[in-house]
Amino acid sequence: MKKPIYLIGALIAIIITLFVAKTFVSNRISTSGVVLGDAQEQIADYKTQNAILRQKIYAQSSLTYISQKATKEGFIENSSTLAVSKGLPLARK
Amino acid sequence: MIRYRIVLILFTLVFGVIGLRLFYWQVVKAAQLSELGASQYGNAIKIEPVRGEIETSDGFPIAANKISYLLYADPQEVKNKGEVASYLSQSLDIDEASISAQLSQDLLWVPIAHGVTPDDKSKIEKQNILGVGFTEQSERYYPEASMAANLLGFVGKDENGNSTGYFGLEGYYDRLLKGKEGSAVEIHDAVGRPILARVNNKDSFGQDGSTLVLNINRSFQFLAEQKLKEGIEKYGASGGMIGIMDPHTGAILAMANYPSFDPAKYQDFDQDVFKNTLISDLYEPGSTFKPLVMSAAFNEKLLTPESRCPICIGPVSVGGYDLHTWDDKYFPNSTMLQVIQHSDNTGMVYVAQKLGLDRMLEYLNKYGIGKITGIDLEGETAPEIMSKSDWYSVDLATTGFGQGINVTPIELMTAFASIANGGKMMQPEVASSVKTADGRVTKIQPKELGQPMSETTAKVMTEVLVNAVNKGEASFARLKGYRIAGKTGTASIPVAGHYDPTQTIASFIGFAPADDPKYVMFVILNRPTAAIYGAETAAPIFFNISKDLLTYYGIPPNGDE
Repeated sequence: MKKPIYLIGALIAIIITLFVAKTFVSNRISTSGVVLGDAQEQIADYKTQNAILRQKIYAQSSLTYISQKATKEGFIENSSTLAVSKGLPLARK
Repeated sequence: MIRYRIVLILFTLVFGVIGLRLFYWQVVKAAQLSELGASQYGNAIKIEPVRGEIETSDGFPIAANKISYLLYADPQEVKNKGEVASYLSQSLDIDEASISAQLSQDLLWVPIAHGVTPDDKSKIEKQNILGVGFTEQSERYYPEASMAANLLGFVGKDENGNSTGYFGLEGYYDRLLKGKEGSAVEIHDAVGRPILARVNNKDSFGQDGSTLVLNINRSFQFLAEQKLKEGIEKYGASGGMIGIMDPHTGAILAMANYPSFDPAKYQDFDQDVFKNTLISDLYEPGSTFKPLVMSAAFNEKLLTPESRCPICIGPVSVGGYDLHTWDDKYFPNSTMLQVIQHSDNTGMVYVAQKLGLDRMLEYLNKYGIGKITGIDLEGETAPEIMSKSDWYSVDLATTGFGQGINVTPIELMTAFASIANGGKMMQPEVASSVKTADGRVTKIQPKELGQPMSETTAKVMTEVLVNAVNKGEASFARLKGYRIAGKTGTASIPVAGHYDPTQTIASFIGFAPADDPKYVMFVILNRPTAAIYGAETAAPIFFNISKDLLTYYGIPPNGDE
């Protein structure tokens, strides 16, 4: 007859433990909302900053921009090309 | 006894009513209540996918996304409306009256300006204007501005206000670039602070758009556009186009159109400039079509480059029409090599007649004339070839020299490229691979469309075209020391049943180096006025670009003149 009493006792202990755990976890989660909100905001902010920087890099590495800048700096197109022809192999000289 | 029954009936009725009410709440209104419950602990949030980028072959994003802001206001909170309108108008270069009109509305939220830059945003934010705020937006951004605009297309809005790609690559690959919209429930605490975001399954997150990697070489594209614009200005043409393709794979290396537009400001342009003329303009190709007809005759072993033309003594009369050469000069008994070199129309009439209608139609089909090439761009057209019964003898004769038949430039370039690729015709492809948001890469494999001619015929035709470049009417412009195969074209423009005697479409098509072609290039000028011939207008542009392309590939001249 003692066994059911142990069993009931154990079950009650589990129920109390789980109840305490739930209260503890809920309490933790409910207050972490602020931290989570801040973290999300920070991530969004970094993403935005990255996108803005990426856009600046693209703009300054575009051929259109580089060519305009080169013209402004006084570079002109070289119309003649110098081709260095390969010399004959030693065996044929 | 009666009292028991009354009580029983009453209880039954009460339970019945309760049962019905429970059924109403739990079954009929279940979904609505569930939604109401969810709204008390969370908000449904839409996860907008980021549109995929479009990269050139060097990995540069020619179409990307940028952050901009929507400036809005709560007119009831804005204190000094006149001052605020004046400040915003000066800062953002917007009409002050339109801002004042927005601020005078009896609403809680009014949009003031779209596309506000991050710099302008921070400048305005520093003023701490009460009742004015910003919402982040993502919009399409083209770092190279109008470069390759007709190839790219643009992103506009559909009837529901959603971003959608139109024309070119943005249109053709819209679903792939767009990605998939997702949704989630953001759970919040008692005071509305977010705790967790819950999604029903992995797919609920949606998916960002894939990145498209192109075969387009950014340097070639820049060069082609620059030289085309210079050429159009120099020769007084109304427009023009240049296509550059790898004949071995069909990879499109550059595609330039002029006039063009700025895809970021597409609203400011006329719709006519949106189309990519290389894939959608129909025209009678003129002499650039001759190599295809001549190749067919060589391939059928009806003629050889040494075969003589017995009818090249003067104008040829066919079906009541007199067919002349372009300069009314005639070369009696000339060889087929010379027919192409002199771009002799009467010689090509002989070739077409030798080929006959059945074989002509068979080869047009093999070259893909009258069919779309399948290029991965929105807006490709293809004119239909007349049915056999509608052909007159004069149609066969004029087709020999590229008049009386309509093609798109991409059709002709694809067919011509087969000469540079040992007779094999490749499908033109603008995109080379697709990168999904999670990093998976799918290569787009080159696709063979057929083999209209044998390898031997292709080699023979290459020599004929090298001779045409070295000794033909465009020889003055050729690059000395290089073996380049090519053909000029001066096409008459049909107008109301006859050909316009003053205007032409001047073109040049060719490939280099002739023995191991790296590219096929097609240059077309619409209605040049400084000179009307392809040899004097399109050919110099072709060789001018070729000089830079050959340097790019590191191919030196061989020293031969």
